[in-house]
Amino acid sequence: MMDTLTQLLGGFATAGTPINLLWAFAGCALGTAIGVLPGLGPAVTVAMLLPITGQVEPTASMIFFAGIYYGAMYGGSTTSILLNTPGETGTMVTALEGFKMAKSGRAGAALASAAIGSFVAGSIATILVTLFAPLLAEFAVQLGPPEYFCLMLLAFTTVSAVLGQSTLRGLTALFFGLALGLIGIDQITAQVRYTAGVLEFMDGIEVVLVAVGLFAVAEALYNALYEGRSPAFMNKMTRAHMTRSEWRRSWPAWLRGTAIGFPFGTIPAGGTEIPTFLSYATERKLASPEHKAEFGTVGAIEGVAGPEAANNAAVTGTLVPLLTLGIPTSVTAAILLSALQNYGINAGPQLFQTSSTLVWALIASLYIGNVMLLVLNLPMVGLWIKLLKIPRPQLYAGILIFATVGVYGMRQSSFDLFLMYGLGLLGVVMRRYDFPTAPVIVGLILGPMAEAQMRNALSIGEGSFMVFFERPMSATLLAVVVLVLLVPRLLARRVAVAQ
Amino acid sequence: MTTPEANSENPNHRPGQLAMGIGALIVAAVLAWGAMDIPSDAGYAGVGPNFLPWVISAALGLCGVMLIREVLTGGYRQMEEPSGAARGDWRALAWVSAGVLLNAALITTIGFILSCSLCFVLAVRGLRASEGKPAGDLRQTAKDAVTGMLIAAPVFWLFTQLLAVNLPGITASGWI
Repeated sequence: MMDTLTQLLGGFATAGTPINLLWAFAGCALGTAIGVLPGLGPAVTVAMLLPITGQVEPTASMIFFAGIYYGAMYGGSTTSILLNTPGETGTMVTALEGFKMAKSGRAGAALASAAIGSFVAGSIATILVTLFAPLLAEFAVQLGPPEYFCLMLLAFTTVSAVLGQSTLRGLTALFFGLALGLIGIDQITAQVRYTAGVLEFMDGIEVVLVAVGLFAVAEALYNALYEGRSPAFMNKMTRAHMTRSEWRRSWPAWLRGTAIGFPFGTIPAGGTEIPTFLSYATERKLASPEHKAEFGTVGAIEGVAGPEAANNAAVTGTLVPLLTLGIPTSVTAAILLSALQNYGINAGPQLFQTSSTLVWALIASLYIGNVMLLVLNLPMVGLWIKLLKIPRPQLYAGILIFATVGVYGMRQSSFDLFLMYGLGLLGVVMRRYDFPTAPVIVGLILGPMAEAQMRNALSIGEGSFMVFFERPMSATLLAVVVLVLLVPRLLARRVAVAQ
Repeated sequence: MTTPEANSENPNHRPGQLAMGIGALIVAAVLAWGAMDIPSDAGYAGVGPNFLPWVISAALGLCGVMLIREVLTGGYRQMEEPSGAARGDWRALAWVSAGVLLNAALITTIGFILSCSLCFVLAVRGLRASEGKPAGDLRQTAKDAVTGMLIAAPVFWLFTQLLAVNLPGITASGWI
């Protein structure tokens, strides 16, 4: 315990240097901006900025990237409240009540509750990360390849089967991502696979390229193709202020949201969709009769406060599996992992020993970043709203320029730009036919890692697959995977029978 | 949210849905075809570098078959209606695509700033047309070109000068 505190103070000393504070501020501001702007998410932004890893030292750039990741969550709520076009999946639920509140002239209160809720949840979740991550890391050192493989299998299953509408389409997306991950040199035998003689394929397909293509370029193409005539309507901003009764209604929702969000972030089930929806359902159920009527009509503040807190707590929680196990459970976490890989840093249980300065500075910067973001998003919210005035054509065309920098700057190959366009088209059809895109990214980045773990595990088991069932930990994890796949189906069947 | 048993209602999506299923089958076939050339030398592990390719190929093939089965039995299940217009604005898409592809083709010859500005001009044209507004006369195009350069040039300088990322210029100075 004391040890943790000393480490954390050391982290504050590193994160508190003027240059690192500046990086944190730049990250928070940029993150808020891209969170507010529709069409760019934190994953794509961090992906496009990955080239800076060649020039900036690891601690500073991780602080910067974490600021972007965090800031986007704060900024995203502003857009979903005012525009009803959530930029992030996690803020989708905020839009449900927030937009209605704004429509009935309470935009300011909704924004305030969202920002303060994000601050409360983010800070509590950071404290939890501080307490639990080192413990988990100590435990995780004992995990061997079979357990790691099962953990990754669990991440695959939840990302593709639980999130999104259809398990089948989720799995299709996942296997496509895994197929992309096969391209290049096999980690264990150095065997070249699926390069078709193209030199560019030897290094494999960069996650940056896929993220930028599937998200940024696809967004621009989809907008040109389908969204041109969609009416844009913006709510009027009011003063960011909450009345006494709104405070009273908000704070229990913030705490409940945090309690729901954090655990979901930490398990390799990942994603912010489930906790935000759960929090929304909880608030709706617990609301007093007089406030219940506000849900879905004029907008209830609990429906903004809870999901917003759950979102931020879950986002912070995803840092736990990322830092302690090296398993990313969200698209942005996957990109952060590849940033670490760029520095030759292996995320995993050893990280707390080998790169403890970096880890603790990163955690300390989360505390600092939360304060910065509260200031950036409450008194200065008017500034960000101006960003929403950028006309749509210029916005998306500008995004294409940034996409070019990110992809071309990675390895100076115009071949990658053509590939980026192809993935953009793929993103358009996937969105049109309701295929989730997150499993592609998770499959691409976790696939090669999972394959290496699986083959190492089989070596331990002398070639027998029984190794996954004989070790208690990995057998348990496998059971969880089966449960995750089966339980929703059985529940659905029971509901169908009951009807 | 749709109920679990609800099918996709819009029959217009059927050909596209079918194409997605066939696409999955094609990728699976390509994977299988490639996997035949990968040696199976397993060492101690019992499975070699060709194991996962075969697994993924089989799984993706199965997904493709299941997708096609869903299309033939009433369309995709649990389908969220896509946002935006029912009919695509293909001309707008062509303009934006031209921007991205020309950028990819020209970036090494005419440099990052000019190439990206060209991409910007074409993409803005397409996006504006998709809103039903006039795509822009000569004056507007000139304005777009300047806007594009005002975005591309600072980005170029930031990356080449400050971050030492190599981006192509017409000259080797790193300024243009």
